[in-house]
Amino acid sequence: MPLIRNLKRIVQGKMKPFREQNYYELLEIPPGASPLEIRRAYKRVFELYQDESIVTYSFFSKEERQEILSLLEKAYLALVDLESRAQYDRRLIELGLLDKERQYCNKMKEPVPIYDFKKIHFDVIEPARRLDELKERVSKNPTIQEILGQDILTGADLHTIRTELDIPLEEIADNTKVQISMLRAIEEDNMEVFPPAVYLKGFLKSYARYLQIDENIVVNGFIKRMGEGK
Amino acid sequence: MPNIWSIGGGKGGSGKSFITGNLGILLAKGGYKTLLFDVDLGAANLHTIIGLPHPEKSISDFVNKKVDTLQETVETTPVPNLYLISGAMNNLDIANLAHEQKSKIIRNIRKLSYDYILLDLGAGTAFNTIDFFMVSDAGVFVTTPEPTSIENIYRLIRSVYFRKICQVLNSHNFRALAEEAQERDGRATVSNPDILLHTMKELDSEKGEILENELRGFNFKLALNQLRRQDNPNIGALICKIIQRHLALKIHFVGNISFDERVHNAVCKKIPFLDLYPYTQTTLDLRSCHKNLLAIDEAEPILQNAVD
Repeated sequence: MPLIRNLKRIVQGKMKPFREQNYYELLEIPPGASPLEIRRAYKRVFELYQDESIVTYSFFSKEERQEILSLLEKAYLALVDLESRAQYDRRLIELGLLDKERQYCNKMKEPVPIYDFKKIHFDVIEPARRLDELKERVSKNPTIQEILGQDILTGADLHTIRTELDIPLEEIADNTKVQISMLRAIEEDNMEVFPPAVYLKGFLKSYARYLQIDENIVVNGFIKRMGEGK
Repeated sequence: MPNIWSIGGGKGGSGKSFITGNLGILLAKGGYKTLLFDVDLGAANLHTIIGLPHPEKSISDFVNKKVDTLQETVETTPVPNLYLISGAMNNLDIANLAHEQKSKIIRNIRKLSYDYILLDLGAGTAFNTIDFFMVSDAGVFVTTPEPTSIENIYRLIRSVYFRKICQVLNSHNFRALAEEAQERDGRATVSNPDILLHTMKELDSEKGEILENELRGFNFKLALNQLRRQDNPNIGALICKIIQRHLALKIHFVGNISFDERVHNAVCKKIPFLDLYPYTQTTLDLRSCHKNLLAIDEAEPILQNAVD
């Protein structure tokens, strides 16, 4: 029952005279209130204390009302501006009237990506270094060199090269923007789902380029093999 | 010791007697032995609201020493468990009750053995009214959502406050301190009790504390009567907020009571509204006010200070 809760709060807490209240207490908001809450609070108290208000018009004299309204305006202007608010908070903290944790901080969230491409996150190696290193590994690996020396190349050969270099298919898909299902079809020689040759060549080029192997060898070898397969 | 609720409101016609009568009936029906005491001396009419048009005894009998105890002026009413001390059939100058007679009545109210005693106060802020109001520190104020009525509520609350400060000042020899406070800060008068209190505490922390505790002993309630559909239903709560914030007084809002044209019919027929129209919004509102009042008393036992 809110009535009882409210009652206990009043009985326990000693009431603080209006003029000694800090800006947050004047506007009746918690110290962590957002700018929007501050605007709303000011609108609320302004309506309560302005001279048309049925509740307060007979309670205050003209001077008292002016004093209260200007106090509230001062509080509002100090809090609604983030810079002056931070300054005011610092002063309250120094005086020991405000806990640091209760201070306002902008809790606006970053937009959430609706689709995260980087489902698997790898340690990022500097691109330049990575390319050089990869090139070296390709040239020093006998298995890869042997495969590249062949006249024709199969999907299984490409798969071997990739495994030798220890690069996951997802990484290639992510970086080349070629669909992973397409890359997998190439490695499995699943010709039924291959796109027209023009596109296939493009995909093979991207694949080869990413692995730092000669793209002409890969494209020519693969296309040649496809012709044989027919 | 009975629970005493004094029901007041600065302005006439705001529904004090109506609320007193119907709350009394609800309390009596709830099993409490309840006494209604019409202290609107000189303009008493509570008896008519609860359906007792011709009371045979009245408070005058006690004042004129026709009877020895206050208990002997109590009338039974058509409602079981509900009793009444009427203010009717008085001598015509009873409104100007002498101080000793008033004190005698107030002393004797406390001696009555009832669960609840409801005092129906008159309008205005005469000392007699305020002193009856202060028989208990748990007064219920009744206002309507009109500027005139709200203005008078503030006036009455300030008068009660003023009376209390005067009493404390007399009994603790505070007067010099109060004058000193006012000299120091021109605003430190009874119309700004928070500043007065503050300045007095600065001058003499011990005496300031006594005054503060006395004022904290008040536990007022506010009911907003005759709320029409077009009125802002938050007015009552806002009035309480203003009083708490600027007079540093405890006051709880107990609820709105909807306006109903048929109250007029009930009064004309001399039948309690609750009985004549038990299924109206106004009756529901009265019931919820009654419930809230009891809940507040349960949460916070009332301190009853002697006023003599």
